[in-house]
Order: sequence, then structure tokens, then C-alpha cells
Amino acid sequence: MAGSNEINVNEAKKVVPLHTWILISNFKLAYNMLRRPDGTFNRELAEFLDRKVVANTVPVDGVYSFDVIIDRATGLLNRIYRCALPETEPGHHPAAGILDLENPLSMTEIVPVVIFFHGGSFTHSSANSAIYDTFCRRLTGLIKGVVVSVNYRRSPEHRYPCAYEDGWETLQWVHSRPWLLSGKDPKVHVYLAGDSSGGNIAHHVAFRAAEAGVEVLGNMLLHPLFGGEERTESETKLDGKYFVRVQDRDWYWRAFLPEGEDRDHPACNIFGPRGVDLKGVKFPKSLVVVAGFDLVQDWQLKYVEGLENAGQEVKLLFLKKATIGFYFLPNNEHFYTLMDEIKSFVSS
Amino acid sequence: MGPTPYNSSNSSSSACSSSTKPPPPQPPDQMDHLLAGAGYKVRSNDLTQVAERLEHLETVMVKSSPVDISDIGNDAVYYNPTDLASWVDSLLTELNPNGSGSGSGSGSGFVSGSGPAYVSDPVMNDMNNVYGEFGQQVVTPIEEDVSIRLVHVLMTCAEAVQRGDLSLAGLLIDDLQGLLGRVNSGCGIGKVGSFFVDALSRRVVNSPQNGVVQVDLSAYENEILYHHYYEACPYLKFAHFTANQAILEAFDGQDCVHVIDFNLMQGLQWPALIQALALRPGGPPLLRLTGIGPPSLDGRDSLREIGLKLAELARSVNVRFAFRGVAATRLDDVKPWMLQVSPKEAVAVNSIMQLHKLLGPGGPRGPPVDLVLDWIRDLNPRILMVVEQESNHNQPEFLDRFTESLYYYSTMFDSLDACTAQPEKTLAELYIQREICNVVCCEGSARVERHEPLVRWRERLTGAGFAPLHLGSNAFKQARMLLTLFSAEGYSVEENEGCLTLGWHSRPLIAASAWQAIPKPSVVTTGR
Repeated sequence: MAGSNEINVNEAKKVVPLHTWILISNFKLAYNMLRRPDGTFNRELAEFLDRKVVANTVPVDGVYSFDVIIDRATGLLNRIYRCALPETEPGHHPAAGILDLENPLSMTEIVPVVIFFHGGSFTHSSANSAIYDTFCRRLTGLIKGVVVSVNYRRSPEHRYPCAYEDGWETLQWVHSRPWLLSGKDPKVHVYLAGDSSGGNIAHHVAFRAAEAGVEVLGNMLLHPLFGGEERTESETKLDGKYFVRVQDRDWYWRAFLPEGEDRDHPACNIFGPRGVDLKGVKFPKSLVVVAGFDLVQDWQLKYVEGLENAGQEVKLLFLKKATIGFYFLPNNEHFYTLMDEIKSFVSS
Repeated sequence: MGPTPYNSSNSSSSACSSSTKPPPPQPPDQMDHLLAGAGYKVRSNDLTQVAERLEHLETVMVKSSPVDISDIGNDAVYYNPTDLASWVDSLLTELNPNGSGSGSGSGSGFVSGSGPAYVSDPVMNDMNNVYGEFGQQVVTPIEEDVSIRLVHVLMTCAEAVQRGDLSLAGLLIDDLQGLLGRVNSGCGIGKVGSFFVDALSRRVVNSPQNGVVQVDLSAYENEILYHHYYEACPYLKFAHFTANQAILEAFDGQDCVHVIDFNLMQGLQWPALIQALALRPGGPPLLRLTGIGPPSLDGRDSLREIGLKLAELARSVNVRFAFRGVAATRLDDVKPWMLQVSPKEAVAVNSIMQLHKLLGPGGPRGPPVDLVLDWIRDLNPRILMVVEQESNHNQPEFLDRFTESLYYYSTMFDSLDACTAQPEKTLAELYIQREICNVVCCEGSARVERHEPLVRWRERLTGAGFAPLHLGSNAFKQARMLLTLFSAEGYSVEENEGCLTLGWHSRPLIAASAWQAIPKPSVVTTGR
């Protein structure tokens, strides 16, 4: 047992740069401590360990941020990232960022607004976690638009469907902000995006939006978290090899799904025995990014296949030699490939 | 386990012998910027070492049972997770107390793209400055037309004040009064806006050069406001609670202890400490408390009164206690000999929202804060506890101060909205209003609310010869538990490189840090 794990450590090391290995391993090992065998979660220690950053209305590298509470009852908070306007006024002062809330983003151009759901297997991280704040800033600069990062409620304290509810509420809120309008129509040009559990949330919010006739222009799912009762080949083959173990995935599903449910629950297994038929649904086009060393990939590929079978537009970006979390640091080719794909996805 | 002394560079960098392929030479203290963007501080030169320790940690974890692993999560105390190297080492110590082994020895095998080896887009790669500047933010969006206009005019008015165009400012204030009439002044920007309009108008009418704009309250009135502020929101309670925890730990094993409180007020902080010392395993020490406060002008000796009450409490729980009051209008009027510190005792200096008052213009002997920090250091305290407002209200430009305080106090007022008790809430608002007024209206030595953020205090205290004592996960957990006693959800405790902050949602509003004096080289130790 110890022997096979040594091999695992060495394999992961071979495919990721040093910084990435350090970062993801640190999370992996710290998270081992936080998941208790009895299904409870050490939230206090998790919050103590999570590196957070404050929003900052002073632009840094052309991007500034501010936080907004959109629902006092649930405490739902979003962090908004925007590109700083060129400084045309001589007396430009920092408050200008807030004053921009009066005007639409643009009357002529289309400015994409991406609602982003951070990952963490429904349990970890926050919108103000350093890794996600950094990622969202990069994303904002890349798309030259707005990113709304949702601080959704997490499991096990808040199980299904809380995260989906928070996502839906944010989508409605975003659509009703006059200061997010753009283009000649004008309307809010909304995309949904997320990594890991965030990708799962994006799917479900998009589905609800489609049913309610609320427009979403596209979904971007970065190694989204899906699953099922069946053990797929990738889960067996890659178990424990690249930072993730199947038993951990199982723990997070148990923590998220309603008590007593199994992984064929439609939240988890989208096109499984209890899945909803997507044929004829006005579902947004999707970009699904799959990492070749992610043990969840077979579920992600089933998801892509399911979308195709339902006649939905989907592009698969399969990054053969990528592990989970490759996009946290700009130190590998997969990161740049991803950025290019995202950029063209929101401008097409 | 008490707060640990700062473990600066020594632990990991010296044992770097087993790495096979050293990264390109970097200045020794160069922090890796990629991991900095993830919130971690690791020296570039230590990266391989840290990786090895992580590998070692993994092999140890694999051999442990899940129960053991989650137990160390429950029971052990951790410090400063930003320092990744020491964090990994502390986990190793918890899981593997007997083995102090170094890394598994194999530093090879990493893909060589470990630096920015790919074509770099300056936006992508240079995240060094992300947390360089501290800026303000807002928690509730200002979207209603009237509110937007209110902020707009407030800013324009403040700009006019900064330029010295007081007649324009006066006109704008009339505008503002009109807007206040239309906005919902019961909450949000309307409420805090009215205090700022009031402050601006005072400033315009009585320009700071002409004299006092803020009438001093009597000590009694001050205490009333303070007490209601204490009750209405958790900021002071958090400060006291966190400070007492750290002081208690610093006093571990000491028989004679002396607490110097820079602002005694009603001594609200001390009953809890007295009781905690009473319950200490091994029995309580002899506790001396020196309380500093303004001289009483109304004939009462309020310092002594508080001292007597605390003495009575101490007596009731069998803690030997001695109190001394030191009356001083300003902290820099206090001379160390007034504190009568004895070499045998362990000293704790407790400064809750006081040090910023020393950042004003200095006298011939230099900036007041430096003088005071210097004599604090001479006392060789086991702990200097500092709690301060987490904002920069001491910027040289008036407009910057105005803007930053507008957002800081909006957030604070937002959090107060959750309190419904009266008259606590109204009087707490008045307490805060006085702070606002001081920041906005006053200048020179009259402006005492010169708040500066944690990052600045760290620089200042480190420069003055103090080393951090980290507040750990136990203090963090207990602070969170304290907050659950409040019905209002929305307060959040965060860990910030060994310090704790309390804020409203994602905005820290006050920061608590603990420090230890580094003995001066020239001091001859006389058995302290």
C-alpha cells in the first residue's frame, strides 16, 4: 500500500510544474484533515487555513473589485470584477469605480459578463479565496468584461439545492443590473462558468434559466464535478494518482446530496438513470474542459456526449496531460490554451 | 501551547542540502510571486525544500488512519498558514512527533517548467502588486439614483474642500442637505451620508485653522457612548477577548504579572482576565493592573473607582490584585517611571485603538509613536497587544481620507443595522459619528483618529524592534464562537499572517496583533 502510493507521488510530480505540485498538494493534504470520517467538516480550521483577500477598488493590473450583498437573508455575497476605465478625468479619484454603477458598460460594444462559480467540491473555498480572486482577476482582464464571482453556500452545512438557488438568484440579479448592460440592444450579455463543483452549479443554473426563459449566452465548465454510482474506468485507473482519490469524491457527494441519496441523484449524474432530458431545451452552448489526469473525466465525457445526443451545442477541450487545478498558475501550456479558448468562446 | 515567537528565516533555508537541482539564484529573501498570488509566502530558494517536506508529509499521512488525521485537525493549534514552510512542518510535527526526518531526498522529477518558462503576458505573470495597495470597497451597492447622486456630490464637495474652495463646498453642502431629505436616511448610505455631510459642513464653517471643530465631551459622556458601542456590536468585545487570550498565554508559568492598559475606560476588558487567571491550573499569579486614562475634571477619580471595583472582583475569586491609575491626557505624556514596572514581573502592554492617536505631528523629540514604542520596548514586555481599526484614515490627502472613511464607516454602519437594541444602537452610532467627525473635520494635533491598516502597523512595529507573536487557530475558533453569540450573521473573523481580523462580511474592520519586544543590544540583562 505504501509502495503504490510512492509511485503515485512520483507520477504527479512528473506532469506538473513545481509550483503547481506544491500548491495542489498543500490543498490535498490540508483537506485530508478537514473531512471527518463521520461526514462532518472542520469548518473552523478550513476558514482559518483559507487564504483570503479583500476586494480592492484601486485597480491592480487594470482590474478592480468590490463586494455586494445581494441577499441579506442568506448572506449571499458576490464579488464583482471590472476593468478600470481609462483615466480621462483630470480629477480622477478612486470612487469613480463606484460611480460607474450609474452607466451601462457600453452603449455600442458588447461587454461579456461572466458569472463564475468557484470550485472546492461544494465544500471548500470562497469567492474571496486568494486562488479564486487571482483567477477571476485574470479572467476579467482576458475577456475585457465583468466577472461576478458567487459566494454560494457550501456543504455540508448547506446541502443541495442551496448552491443552485444562490446561482439562480445571482443570475436574476445580474440580468436586472442597469450597469451591466451593453451593446446596442442593450442587454446583459451573460455567461456562466465554474471549475469543479462550480462547473456543476453552472450547468444546473443554466438548465433552470433555460426552463424559465432567462438568457444565458454560454457555459464554460472547467473539469466540472459530475459522478454516478457506477465506477468508471478513469476513476479506477487514476484513483489516488493525481492528487485526487475516489473516496474523497464520495465524501463530498455525501456531504452535498440530500441525506440518504446516492450518486445517481440528478444533481450529480446529469445524464444518468434519473437524469432530465435536455432534447429541445434552449440550453446555452457549452465549452467543457477536461483534464486528462482527472479521475472524473469519464463522467465529464459522458456529460459532453449527453449534451450532443440532446442536440445541444458543445465543444470539448480535452487537455491530455493536465491535472486538476492547472489553471491556478500561469506556468503551463494548458493554462494558456484555456485562456485562448475562453476568449474566443465569449467573443463568438 | 502559547503564541509562538516569530520563526523568521531560519527553519527551512539552512537545511537545503538534499535538493539536486537548485533553482536559478535569487536574492535570499525573494518571495515566490506565483504562490503569492495564491496567498502563500515561500522563499523562491525554499521551494524544492517545501516540496520535499510535502512529499514526506504525504507518506506520513498515508500511514495514519483517517481518524488520527482528522483528530490533529480538531485538537492541534496552528499558526500563520501563509508561511507554507512552517505550516507543513507543524503538520509533520503533529503527525510524526518522533521522526524529525528531512525530506525523502528526491528533489528530482519535477517538470522543468517551474518558473515562468512560457511566453509571458505581463498581465498574466506579474501578479506581484495584487495586494500592494490597500483600497476601499463597499458592501452594499449604491444604485438608487438619489444615493448615487449623494455620493457624487459628497466626493465633489470633498474635492472642493481639498482645493480650499470653501464657497463652492458650502453650496454643495446645501445640495447635500437637499439630497439627504430625499434619500432613505434610516439606513445604508443615507445614514452614514448624513454624518459625513454634517462633518463636511462643520469643516467648511469652522475651518481647522480657526480653531476647534469638535467639542470635547466630558469623560463621563465619552464613557456612556463607549459603553453603548461596546454593547451594540462585537468589535470591542472581540478586541478584549482576543487580547485576553493572548495575554493569558503570555503569562503562562509566571507568578507576578503586570498589565498596562493604555485606555482603562470602564475596565470592561479585565473581569474576564481576572476570572481566567483565577481558574488557571496551578493557581493565579499576583496581578497588577495599571490603568491609563484621562484626568477627571469633575472631581471624581474614575480611574480609582474602576480600580476598586476590579479589586473587589479579584478578591472574590482569590486573585491577589493591585491597581494603579495613571492620569494622562495623551499617551505620550506618560513617562515609563509612572508605571513602576518591576524587573521581576511579566509585563503585558494592552493597546486597544490607542496607538493611532500617536501618529500626529511630533514634537522636538520626534514622532510621538516612536517615543512611546521605544519606552514600551524598554519595559521588555512579554506581550504588546495591539488592536486597531483596519483602514487608512491617515493619508496625506484629505480626499483620500474622506473616501476611505466613507466606505469604512458605511460598512461599519451596515453591520450596526443588525443591532436593534435601543438606546445602544443610537448611542453607538453617536460614538462612531465622533470618530468620523475627527477624521473629516480636524487637522494637526486635534486629529487623533489617524487609523492605519495592519500592513502599516506591521512595518512600524517591526521597525521599532518588535517581533510578531502569532495568534493561532485556537484564538480563531474561539473568536468565531464568540460571534455566534450575536444573532447577527455577517460578522467574520479572518486569519491574516498570524493576526486576526474582525469584519463585516468580506471586509475586515478591526485587526488584532500581538508582539514581543526584541531586547535592545545595549541593555544589560539584570535578571528580567
